[in-house]
Amino acid sequence: MEVVETFGVEGHIVDSLILAKVLDLILEAGADYRMVDVQIGRTSTDPSRAVFEVTAADDDALVRLAEQLQVHGANPLTSGDAVLAAADLDGVLPAGFYSTTNLATEVRVAGRWATVANPEMDCGLVVSGEDPPTVRTVPMHRVRSGDQVVIGGTGVRVRAPEVPRGVSVFEFMDSEVSSEKPKGLAVRTVADRVRAARHDGARVLAVCGPAVVHTGGGPAVARMVREGWIQVLFAGNGFATHDIESNVLGTSLGVSVVEGAPTEGGHSNHLRVVNEVRRHGSIADAVAAGWITGGVMYECVRAEVPFLLGGSIRDDGPLPDVVTDVVAAADRMRELIDGVGVALMAATTLHAIATGNILPAAVETFCIDINPAVVTKLADRGSHQAHGIVTDVGLFVHQLATELEER
Amino acid sequence: MCPPVHFGVLYEINPWMHKEVVVDRDRAHEQWKGLVATLRGAGAEVVVAEPDPAVPDMVFTANAGIVNCRADAPHQFVPAHFRFPERQPETEIFARWFAGQGFTVDRLPVALAHEGAGDALPFRGSLLSGYRFRSDLPATAELARLTGAAVRAVELVDERLYHIDLTFCPLDDRRAMAAPMGWDRYGRTVVEALVPEPLWLTDDEALAFSANSVVVGSTVVMATTPPRVGRQLEAWGFDVVTCDVSEFLKAGGGCRCLTLALDVSLGGPPRSPARPPEPSGVTTG
Repeated sequence: MEVVETFGVEGHIVDSLILAKVLDLILEAGADYRMVDVQIGRTSTDPSRAVFEVTAADDDALVRLAEQLQVHGANPLTSGDAVLAAADLDGVLPAGFYSTTNLATEVRVAGRWATVANPEMDCGLVVSGEDPPTVRTVPMHRVRSGDQVVIGGTGVRVRAPEVPRGVSVFEFMDSEVSSEKPKGLAVRTVADRVRAARHDGARVLAVCGPAVVHTGGGPAVARMVREGWIQVLFAGNGFATHDIESNVLGTSLGVSVVEGAPTEGGHSNHLRVVNEVRRHGSIADAVAAGWITGGVMYECVRAEVPFLLGGSIRDDGPLPDVVTDVVAAADRMRELIDGVGVALMAATTLHAIATGNILPAAVETFCIDINPAVVTKLADRGSHQAHGIVTDVGLFVHQLATELEER
Repeated sequence: MCPPVHFGVLYEINPWMHKEVVVDRDRAHEQWKGLVATLRGAGAEVVVAEPDPAVPDMVFTANAGIVNCRADAPHQFVPAHFRFPERQPETEIFARWFAGQGFTVDRLPVALAHEGAGDALPFRGSLLSGYRFRSDLPATAELARLTGAAVRAVELVDERLYHIDLTFCPLDDRRAMAAPMGWDRYGRTVVEALVPEPLWLTDDEALAFSANSVVVGSTVVMATTPPRVGRQLEAWGFDVVTCDVSEFLKAGGGCRCLTLALDVSLGGPPRSPARPPEPSGVTTG
């Protein structure tokens, strides 16, 4: 993986051609540089100073180059190793802890940069092991007494997210969440990213709200699960309940998913569905018993696609699969995002933000919602990588599933 | 200068030195006295430092440090920091000697090596300083701070020409002998820009210590005088004197290495004192 280090060189580096030589050496070594600052001396006796950032292919290449550059007076400007302090209580970070971003992060330990294995925002950084040391983000409640936690910003650096491979339709959509964009193009681009993720061995995460079912998008999502386009699902009690309701009773929140009209006594349909699943013991048991015969949850069980249903205080039932301890739910989500390359967040505000909180910025995130405020909220909470697509989610997932099948 | 009372090839710190080669100390002393007489004959005043038995290479006084005798400021001496432990005791010996002569002694940071006038020659208001084998590049920035001179640093690339004074010899304000084989392409470009009328030395001429000559007024004192070099110097109006220092060549030193010019005045206003020494290995500049 590419590594970056800042170097400085000082003296009569212009007249002596030292700066030219140092920059040439960097290029000859197959590395690259970016000038950060150059101060030219006012007279021939004033020293000049240059600061530049060197990007090398890997740590070894950088160390070799640094040794070469040192001969010519160019030295790394790193402030030093990260400062560590032991946690003194379980579930409590030491005062002054470094608070993480979701960006790719590196920590300098014993003179070498260690890459943080699992970037996540709003966590602490725990260093363990020695040769080589490993650095992990750890949420506050998972810290254990004695953990070596990074204090302050010394020896920590973060990298801006890389631009997705290839030209993206979202390059011109980046700054704004806009409804005034060609949706067909957006669908094709998302399909390309999903396809590329599968090709690269990365997993695709879908985060779905109940509106996916209400707007008739359930069958399309079920198809994408069945055909292996979606490998992880996050949702809540509502989505799973209405998905099962629509497949068992043909309604979503009592409204016929075929006719779009309220059905007699439909307002209690979802409660009866939850109740029966509780009788079976779990969604998987209800599938095994032949009580659920289709839909997103059914396809997840059949295809062994892991799902996490996060609970909330207003849930009816809830379904037996719902994890009602939100801290445990978040931890389970952390386990499941390993290897995720693309996240599709469809018509959900709370689950999208909860997922955004634990996703590394490197995960390509698409947020599909009829309400532009959802994407704005997501970005405001630090998930700047999210691309917003403002449209009806039912139509969108249907087109996406079709697009994925066609090519 | 320093008489070769304790001189010998007792260790090997450059490609010319071979411990099995025996130095004829009497002959060395005769050659040294011959050089002193030649320099005095050319009009130089020679001051002699007391030799110390612990440091056989003290005879090569060019490496003692940087001398800066400006009319408008106290005379300054920046003692060398030697790369090799064998020569490191010379630093304090020369620092004491110059302090005794009334010089202000300013020091380089301890972690940086710089071998004095052997690696820094004044020319047209600049100090041309060599680095790599014996001197560290960051030391040149410190030298500039201490002396107020503009320092141009060139990388030495041939181990046989391990000091700048084996590759460069200022003759007057416009001319200098220069051995491009000693430098990388950046160094060559720097010298080309600095010297209006260079006498480019061939590799053989450079390896015959032609650049390690002493210039006193219009007299050039050389260890050996390649015919082409001698003719060009005479065409420019210099008197060329060949002075046999073959015993010293066994240690990799020629005429210039045996002398340290005291009439050097480096330009520019006096500078603020050097920053405190940096921790070992961490340098700026």
